[in-house]
Amino acid sequence: MYRYIVRRLLWAVVLFIAVTMVTYVIFFVIPADPAVLAAGRSARPADVERVRVYLGLNHSVPYQYALFLKRLVVDQSLGRSFVNRRDVDSMVGEAAPVTASLVFGGAILWMLLAMPIGVLSALRPRSLLDRSAMVFVLIGISMPVVWIGLVLQFLFGFKWAILPNAGYCNVFNPPTGATCGGPVDWFTHMILPWTTFAILFTAIYVRMIRSNVMDTLGEDYVRTARAKGAPPVQVMTKHVLRNAMLPVVTMLGMDIGIALGGAIFTEYIFGLPGLGRLAVTSLQNFDLPTIEGVVVFSTLCIIIFNLLVDILYAFIDPRIRLE
Amino acid sequence: MNDEILVVDNVKKHFPVTQGIVLKKQVGAVKAVDGVSFTVRRGETLGVVGESGCGKSTMARCIMRLLDPTDGRIVFDGRDISRLSRAQMRPIRRDMMMIFQDPYASLNPRKRVGFIVGEALEVHKMGTEAEVKRRVQELLEVVGLNPEHYNRFPHEFSGGQRQRIGIARALAVNPKLIVCDEPVSALDVSVQAQILNLLKDLQSDFGLTYIFIAHDLNVVRYISDRVMVMYLGKMAEFADSKELYASPKHPYTGALLSAVPIPNPKLGRARHQIVLEGDVPNPINPPSGCVFHPRCPRFKEGVCDVDDPPAFSFGGSHQAKCYYPLERWPMTVEEIERRPAERLEQAVAALPH
Amino acid sequence: MTTAEPLLDVRDLRTAFLTDDGIVGAVDGVSFSLDAGRTLGIVGESGCGKSVTNLTIMGLNPKTARVSGQALLRGEDLLQAAPRRLREIRGNEIAMIFQDPMTSLNPVHRIGDQLVEAVLLHNDISHAEAKARALESLEEVGIPQAARRIDDYPHQFSGGMRQRVMIAMALINDPDVLIADEPTTALDVTTQAQIISLIAQLQKEHGTAVIIITHDLGVVAEIADEIVVMYAARVVERGPVDELFERPSHPYTWGLLGSLPRLEADVERLAQIPGQPPSLLAPPRGCRFNPRCPYAFQRCHDEDPTLIKVSGTDDHVQACFLDEGTKAREAAKTLSAAAA
Repeated sequence: MYRYIVRRLLWAVVLFIAVTMVTYVIFFVIPADPAVLAAGRSARPADVERVRVYLGLNHSVPYQYALFLKRLVVDQSLGRSFVNRRDVDSMVGEAAPVTASLVFGGAILWMLLAMPIGVLSALRPRSLLDRSAMVFVLIGISMPVVWIGLVLQFLFGFKWAILPNAGYCNVFNPPTGATCGGPVDWFTHMILPWTTFAILFTAIYVRMIRSNVMDTLGEDYVRTARAKGAPPVQVMTKHVLRNAMLPVVTMLGMDIGIALGGAIFTEYIFGLPGLGRLAVTSLQNFDLPTIEGVVVFSTLCIIIFNLLVDILYAFIDPRIRLE
Repeated sequence: MNDEILVVDNVKKHFPVTQGIVLKKQVGAVKAVDGVSFTVRRGETLGVVGESGCGKSTMARCIMRLLDPTDGRIVFDGRDISRLSRAQMRPIRRDMMMIFQDPYASLNPRKRVGFIVGEALEVHKMGTEAEVKRRVQELLEVVGLNPEHYNRFPHEFSGGQRQRIGIARALAVNPKLIVCDEPVSALDVSVQAQILNLLKDLQSDFGLTYIFIAHDLNVVRYISDRVMVMYLGKMAEFADSKELYASPKHPYTGALLSAVPIPNPKLGRARHQIVLEGDVPNPINPPSGCVFHPRCPRFKEGVCDVDDPPAFSFGGSHQAKCYYPLERWPMTVEEIERRPAERLEQAVAALPH
Repeated sequence: MTTAEPLLDVRDLRTAFLTDDGIVGAVDGVSFSLDAGRTLGIVGESGCGKSVTNLTIMGLNPKTARVSGQALLRGEDLLQAAPRRLREIRGNEIAMIFQDPMTSLNPVHRIGDQLVEAVLLHNDISHAEAKARALESLEEVGIPQAARRIDDYPHQFSGGMRQRVMIAMALINDPDVLIADEPTTALDVTTQAQIISLIAQLQKEHGTAVIIITHDLGVVAEIADEIVVMYAARVVERGPVDELFERPSHPYTWGLLGSLPRLEADVERLAQIPGQPPSLLAPPRGCRFNPRCPYAFQRCHDEDPTLIKVSGTDDHVQACFLDEGTKAREAAKTLSAAAA
């Protein structure tokens, strides 16, 4: 078990280097000059050169990458944005909680919806409930997130005006000049984003939970439990769910890890200043340090969550634990 | 040695067990087959019997070179095939074919029966398309299926019929040797009889040699000329079929024979059963000396747990690897547990000094 | 013989499943009875309905099953019992063990916890007491170092050991009836012998009645007092074990006995039953064995045979229209071929 973790951590380092390096390479392969963009429209060639030197773009790509790594490991800093010279650390640091609120809240919502629907559908296959659930699943997977977001925004935020349209409110310490703040505002502003974000995942998880529960219901040990005289609720909680949810837990961990990298569409539509929006804007501006910063953060999230999920799995499933 | 179509000489197959975080080091091995030697005569059926973990399937795959043996020699039709490369093995593969246990898993569900049976013919370029088709239909008829069903899929057949398809597939290229790996274990009793009779008929019609692997001693008795009993990767006993069942020498064979339920209540009640204790041990850590000694009712400390017994001969093909072979059969458990003194001296004398 | 009421009396049991292709009559008029402390063996090949019969008695069929007939446990009809009453009975008065020990135990719970669950479902005692009982039962079935192994998980046990745990779990509440569905089919020969001898021994000690379901005639010869032979969802022959093996009276039974390769005798050629068992979606008219029966005549296609007594006996019945003379001759032929 311990050996397993060490091996995973080593792999994580390798993965991290690979991902960040590829980002650098892609950035420089694209035919556009960040120095030009940073210098501004009316810049003259000499100014562009000065900007180039200032930003360190005159060095070779491997050198820049090595510098990036050194800065990351030694100074624990992600550098400064090409565009506004702010610390990337603080930019990411401000965006992360927003994305985290969206992702974790959305995850709770989708699990609260998917579990009962998935389990009930599995218990009554081909019933009206089951068939409607499957139709919902199909729609949920097919509808583009952007479209859902815009429709909800229009209906609830504009036409019926019961929920706020866009924008994010800090739960604690709203910055001066903010138009809203505090837990209630935060919550109401997040309702629509959460719903938009969660619909696709709810659909996927309903399908997965339904299929896992149906498979588990047919297992021999469930028959044994019934043969012992266990009541249906106990069979479900003690025997079926504990086994059926194992793969769901791992998927959940991975999905959260990935989503923390930035739920781009949802953030954009609702104007949430999260990592997704940060990624989009920094790409449009060819702001390499910020792009790298977002990449670093999301890679770390994915790696950490994957590792957590694997460890968790080993805890719940004794067959893996006791290798 | 034209009479012997297959000679297996001290074949071993060890699967390494590795440990280590980055660099994997071998810390042990699963000794699936650990030094097995026997011969197979042309035209006979050699039965190989043993329980799970004894290595019989692994050994079959080594003979067919589906696995590479770790050590030892395999001589097929006079030629040493133990270390041949893939390209060199190719023409030889025509002469040895295999029939598998699970009739539901061993046929590709997406291919038609005609293709399945004829594939080997096409691989070895044994005829034009029309000739192959004719041969396949011939084969389907030989195994008792309707040649018109050439274009059907496996799922349209029952378990017994699928096994017939597997047999037709094996026969297609006129092999010299067919290895049957538990071909009837997954079938109902009444269908089992059909397949066993079919195999027997085909053997006499086409002069085939079989290696028949099974865990069912009744089946092995019916179909085999000679039988090898395996335990934990090693041979325990080898004899003519009749002789093995009439007078087994190895206590494990005795236990196996007495454990088989007999469909005759009066006979069953009258016999003495030797019920072994415990489970079959782990092939990663086999016991020292004779691998059967921890469960053997005839175990003698200082003799059986020190050195692996050699194969003592009992006349003809009969061999058994035991220092205290059974004197006669049947024996009661008490009789088995008593070891006669003179045999002890013989056994001690046989130990390498 | 039947002065006392049988412990379990199954009368004209029928179970049908609604499938996409139609109605499958998996059990079609099966009757037998089981006395306290005795062993009944139900033999037949795959698809004959032997497992479904017992799942029906236990009420463990899926909801799509249509059941009729009676299954009287000490006079109480299990097929009419309320779900709560059935749950009281399962694991307590009737217990069942299944074929594949590798998958019949929940892999994420400890053995001890699964045994304790079986106890606490039917007994109002403390967890510690239940665990003590669990330990006792593990020792009874011969698990070595039971005190240490009670906290292990199923995957840490071998197949034979797991089957012993299943037996322990079934017998832990001292049921009156134990139903064993192919308990040894997935096990090695020597392990099989251990398990059969364990079941026989525990039966003697606890006085449990046993129903053993198997396709292996050798196993029932060893352990059963009475045998029921099933074919295509029906009972074709039924009788005490010695009587049935000495005077088999149905062509299917002859076929089964004749097609067995023997350990103790030289068989020249196995008798084979041609064809395969019928589909239960559209079974043959009349006697269901008639398409494969070498003795079939017109009446076999027109009428359903009923179970009638074999002459000279009280408790041996069979369902075939052949006359007694032919039967005696053919039975003798089968037995002599096997005894050669």
